[in-house]
Amino acid sequence: MPSRRSAFWWLVEKEWRELVASRAWWLLLALVGPLVGLSFISAVRTYAEISAGAGAGCGVVCDPLIGIWGPTFGTYELAAVFFLPFVAIRVASGDRQSGALKLELQRPMSMAARVGAKTLVILAGWVATYAAGVVAIVLWRSYGGSVALPEILVVLLGHTLNAALTIAFALAIASMTEHPSTAAIITLAMTIGTWIVDFEAAVHGGWWERLASYTPAAMVAGFQHALLQVNVTSIGIVLTLMAMAMAGVWLHLGTPVRRRIAQSCGVVVAALGVALAAAQMPGYWDASETRRNSFPEPAEEALAKLTAPLTIEVHLAAEDARRLELERVALAKLRRALPRVKIVYTSRTSTGLYEQQDPGYGEIWYDLGGTRVMSRVITEEGVLETILGLAGSPEPDESEAPVLGHPLVAQPAGAAAAFYGIWPAVVAGVYWLVSRRHV
Amino acid sequence: MVNADASPPRVFRVSGLTKTYGSFAALSDVAFSVRPGEVLGVIGPNGAGKTTLFECLAGVLPCDRGTVTIDGRALTRREIAAEIFYVPDGIAPWPAQSVRWALDYVTGFFDGRADRRAEIERQLGLTDLVAMPIGALSKGQRKRVAVALGLLTPQPVLLADEPFDGLDLRQSREAAAALRAHAAAGRTLVLSIHQIADAARVCDRFVLLSNGRVLGEGGLAELSALAAARGVATSPQDLEEVFLALT
Repeated sequence: MPSRRSAFWWLVEKEWRELVASRAWWLLLALVGPLVGLSFISAVRTYAEISAGAGAGCGVVCDPLIGIWGPTFGTYELAAVFFLPFVAIRVASGDRQSGALKLELQRPMSMAARVGAKTLVILAGWVATYAAGVVAIVLWRSYGGSVALPEILVVLLGHTLNAALTIAFALAIASMTEHPSTAAIITLAMTIGTWIVDFEAAVHGGWWERLASYTPAAMVAGFQHALLQVNVTSIGIVLTLMAMAMAGVWLHLGTPVRRRIAQSCGVVVAALGVALAAAQMPGYWDASETRRNSFPEPAEEALAKLTAPLTIEVHLAAEDARRLELERVALAKLRRALPRVKIVYTSRTSTGLYEQQDPGYGEIWYDLGGTRVMSRVITEEGVLETILGLAGSPEPDESEAPVLGHPLVAQPAGAAAAFYGIWPAVVAGVYWLVSRRHV
Repeated sequence: MVNADASPPRVFRVSGLTKTYGSFAALSDVAFSVRPGEVLGVIGPNGAGKTTLFECLAGVLPCDRGTVTIDGRALTRREIAAEIFYVPDGIAPWPAQSVRWALDYVTGFFDGRADRRAEIERQLGLTDLVAMPIGALSKGQRKRVAVALGLLTPQPVLLADEPFDGLDLRQSREAAAALRAHAAAGRTLVLSIHQIADAARVCDRFVLLSNGRVLGEGGLAELSALAAARGVATSPQDLEEVFLALT
């Protein structure tokens, strides 16, 4: 008698049962609570100190997005690097080691469905860990703290995309390797590789910097500031699908290795092509309550009216703090508001320590349709003023209401008990119940 | 999926199956036929290529060349998957799950034979094991579960790699009886067996494989005649003698 449930849903159920049977996942659940708690408690205390010091006029400094949710949800970035790959590898390699894969492969089914079922289930297991973040939100509300839901949703979306990417790569690597320990070593090596890219970008800038803007850490950083960018999100999705496709190719044990290598190369080339196209896609949503990722709206409207090409030449070294500040407060926003802007960094050295005396070091040259002007100002207001002055645009109306911020002097009451006591106890209790009823 | 009970008798033939690892030929031009409803034993010493042969046929290991035909028509990979199911040796699939769940899963995932479920559990002595996690079973118990999983699948041809390995004498006889019963009901079985006594007890015909080559194919009398043709006299009743004479 044929089963009423489709093979795909049987597979999803199997993957879920295997995940629930995996101690690696329970360990992830158990550890996430105290780690989130540690960050949250520390963040609440620091936030209280800043709020008390700055008083009612603390403005953007008292922003829960940066003061509370950045560090609290930042824990998930660590968990995605250090715990999640091993959960995924355990699920993927378990089938291979036990011989289950050889049985399941004999059921004609697309590899997309096989890998999709695994990814879906592990991602669901990951999303379950967000319960710790929800506890933090509930506690923060109970202290009288402000919660801007769109901000938090964008932050969580970033961590979910990062998790999907991590899971897909871990599955691909586990599919390519015979043994889980080999897969774990390669996964860690990839993580360290992205750190090297970040380090090289900070030291040398240039192509390294462009490459580093697509590492998982850079991807998450944007979301952590409640910035949802079409290009970054698209590239994250494309890379996730690429890794899933690679996993599918390598799970196909009956295909000769040479053909699998050729198929993998095809997948990588196609994905890189799509990713390159996606990188050019403009569009973003600044979900932050304080519009911290954007210029004021009148300024953006004035920038949108510029028709002549704008080139900015920055004479600052990659490690110069002024360059980092300029990039953070002005140029990153400018790139989003004016995607056709061309920004060129020039310097002789990476640190800039011995260039300070060079004539021209520290200069920022603005060229708008052939009209040039130099400035050394690195503030948002200074950059905007220079560009709009060059264009002959009138001063934008700055009559927006000032950001008051959300100062809160509160102690993290009950958080230690919730995260260090109740959370591990609940996870252990549920594990005990589930493992008794599982078989 | 094709149901064995509903399928007309068809002769299944493997031809020219070759698998090499670098310069080492694990299988060289392997060819043999499988008749519907028979129990065919693939016998051979360790390293003969029995597992490689089964994995190539099941599509879980790539082969260099070779075809599978039914009544002279070559099958695609997908068609082969609808005809053949392979139970590997030494597996403990889904070790954290219970035997009961594994049997449910295979029945559901492969659109298997739910109507045979109780019978298979009884024949292979699994009734008392169904609540146990597969990972907690002994080698022999796992083997019986693996055979049960294979018997639940709907494909007309079942390949089982060493189905008696790890079983004691009584269990071997019970498993052999179960396999014979399924063959009698129309399932075609191809069993890789290195214990010649087990093979003699359960198989109708044999394919003798050594160093990746087929040295002979047929019933005991035919293999005995083949040995005689090579100048070695053997008892036509003794598969072990025939095996030694031909390998």
